[in-house]
Amino acid sequence: MYHLATIFPKLKEIKLPLSRDQLVLVMVAINEIIVGVDIFLAHSISRTIVPYEWIPIIFGPIAGILLLISGAIAIRRRELATSIATLVFVSSILVGVLGSYFHIRRAFLLDAGFAQMFSIDLAIWAPPLFGPITFAGLGIYGLSAAFIEAPAGSGKLKLWGNKTLQMPFSKTRGYLFLVALGMLAMLVSSVFDHARTGFENPWLWLPTVVGIFAVVVAVVLGVADEINENDVKTYFVAMTLMMLTGLIGTALHIQTDLTSDFQFVQERFLRGAPFMAPLNFVNMGMLALIVLLDPKEETE
Amino acid sequence: MTGKKGINSRALMIGLIAIVVVIGFALVSLSIGSSRVEAEEGPVNALANSKNDCVVCHDRTTPGIIQQYGHSTMAAADVTCEDCHEVERDYPGGIEHEGTYVLQSPTTAMCQSCHENEVNQYYASRHALPAYVAMVGAEVLDEDLMAMYQEVTEGQPDPDRARNAIYHLEGPAVTRFACEGCHNIGKPAEDGSVGECQQCHLRHEFSLEQVRKPETCSACHIGPDHPQFEIYQESPHGISYAVGSDDWNWDADPGTLTSEDFPAPTCATCHFSGFGGTATTHDSGDRLTWFLFMPVSERRPGYNENAGRMQQVCGECHNSDFIDDFYTDGDALVEAVNAWVLESREIIKPLQDNGLLTADPFDEPIDFVFFDLWHHWGRTAKFGGWMQGPDYTQWHGAYEVLRELAELKEMVHDKLEEAGIEP
Repeated sequence: MYHLATIFPKLKEIKLPLSRDQLVLVMVAINEIIVGVDIFLAHSISRTIVPYEWIPIIFGPIAGILLLISGAIAIRRRELATSIATLVFVSSILVGVLGSYFHIRRAFLLDAGFAQMFSIDLAIWAPPLFGPITFAGLGIYGLSAAFIEAPAGSGKLKLWGNKTLQMPFSKTRGYLFLVALGMLAMLVSSVFDHARTGFENPWLWLPTVVGIFAVVVAVVLGVADEINENDVKTYFVAMTLMMLTGLIGTALHIQTDLTSDFQFVQERFLRGAPFMAPLNFVNMGMLALIVLLDPKEETE
Repeated sequence: MTGKKGINSRALMIGLIAIVVVIGFALVSLSIGSSRVEAEEGPVNALANSKNDCVVCHDRTTPGIIQQYGHSTMAAADVTCEDCHEVERDYPGGIEHEGTYVLQSPTTAMCQSCHENEVNQYYASRHALPAYVAMVGAEVLDEDLMAMYQEVTEGQPDPDRARNAIYHLEGPAVTRFACEGCHNIGKPAEDGSVGECQQCHLRHEFSLEQVRKPETCSACHIGPDHPQFEIYQESPHGISYAVGSDDWNWDADPGTLTSEDFPAPTCATCHFSGFGGTATTHDSGDRLTWFLFMPVSERRPGYNENAGRMQQVCGECHNSDFIDDFYTDGDALVEAVNAWVLESREIIKPLQDNGLLTADPFDEPIDFVFFDLWHHWGRTAKFGGWMQGPDYTQWHGAYEVLRELAELKEMVHDKLEEAGIEP
């Protein structure tokens, strides 16, 4: 169902150049590249990037470029494009899981006494626990989008050749759960990162409040058997708030990183408030709104 | 999809309830946390149950260093003893130890494998080879080290020989516990690297708080020849540190410091930390304008750029008029002290011209007076001015210079008269 059109009926008259799945794939491709750059900045904090820290930095842009190439050849050679994309997405999941292991490992002092092995402080000061899971999330998003659901809303995915796969729920519902999961990971990361400052700045509560709201709304829409117009409106508002929060956060992070007389010092941007991190809120808000688009593919 | 009108959204209701519940829970937790008397917790020991061979053995033989390292952020980040100490069999300076080869004291080459920028900045500093050359002289440097030395800004002025003379005069039984305690910060190592990071970053905790506190610098920058620590203590900055630093954010991430973390600076804040518009450095001369250590101070080659970087730090608390005036006055002070030191050279010149000074250094009282005048009192007056310690500029500096000038005149007069030369 074209949910967004229920609150903006005129959208039905507009023909978008790309389908919902294609838009998701483009977003995922761009995200792979941006996440690679973001990780490069994050891993540069120590000014020394050790060999295994290069894995996501190199992988991100390569994955993004491969996805864009596969998107370009998809019209003529759909199966080849799907194969390339699938390979990229599976790799993305592996890179994400591997990175999560390295990050989560740092939150545990395995050689410390039992009582000191884990603490909230350790979780707060460890590398962002759910940061690398972004790659895994992108991989799952991508896999979800790479295979056409036919008919729309059936949960039946067309694989290679004539093979199909019946999913337990529709693609729209799957997207909603993925969006909720992605936003939850982002919310937890945001809370842990902001906890380093003790939440003394009232602005730090904004992403927390909006994040909780957006996650819950996405989950509710995912589990609901029927979605009414007001639910869609709430979802739309929640995701718009997410994007606004991201933009405000970006401005505030940049303001924090600039000196008191608004000078740019590279070190402050590398080691201070991560200026690209709030853009994740914008990103997730956009992805979440794409979910509301018409799920039908051109071929249907 | 149903098209009911009005506020009939489960998503909205559940979402709002979730916000209230989660934020309420967070606020209650914060309130309880802030009202509770902070429990006395021991520091986390990341190595308490370690099975690492080095840790297990040294926990018996030298438990202090295992305790220290267990509390360090390096141990928490999985940096092992082997990462810093273990080397290949043929590594210069490596010794056989329990079936492997180790450096007893890791060199900067080992630190450089993770902290490349920091070590390179340090190599360009007075704390590297110039510190060592100031003690032993440049003659000990091989071709490579000499090239490295000459690349350092502080390696460009001709090193004063008098200090080298004292080192050689006193001999190793003394200097082992004296000069070397500080000047080995720039000592070349067998593996070709230079210096000892651990002179400032004390083993084995490598604590940010420790290295940011002025007591760390006081290990060397103290005493009659360069009493920077004492000057700092009497300065407004040092007073703020003495009365308020318990609340300062000592563990703030490098490169993110603001005046909220450090309402007044320590030595590290002005000279090393990323602060205001100035980035972190490990080059102690990066923000300095004069070679104050010289008998007659010269402006550093990068006077304006260095001043700019230091003034960015000052600018976090002081306005530009204050800073400009301070620099103008500071420059004038240096010129004034320079004039006195030049005068002392003129005073002693007749003795040199007439061969009335012995060839050996520091073998007659006038050598000490001539040396103290610039090395102790002249420099102290200059340091006192730039670091806002009026007592050190005045009574431990300028006043002593004037007294030594008077004494020098009298000594020269007596020596000339004794030699039958008209003073």
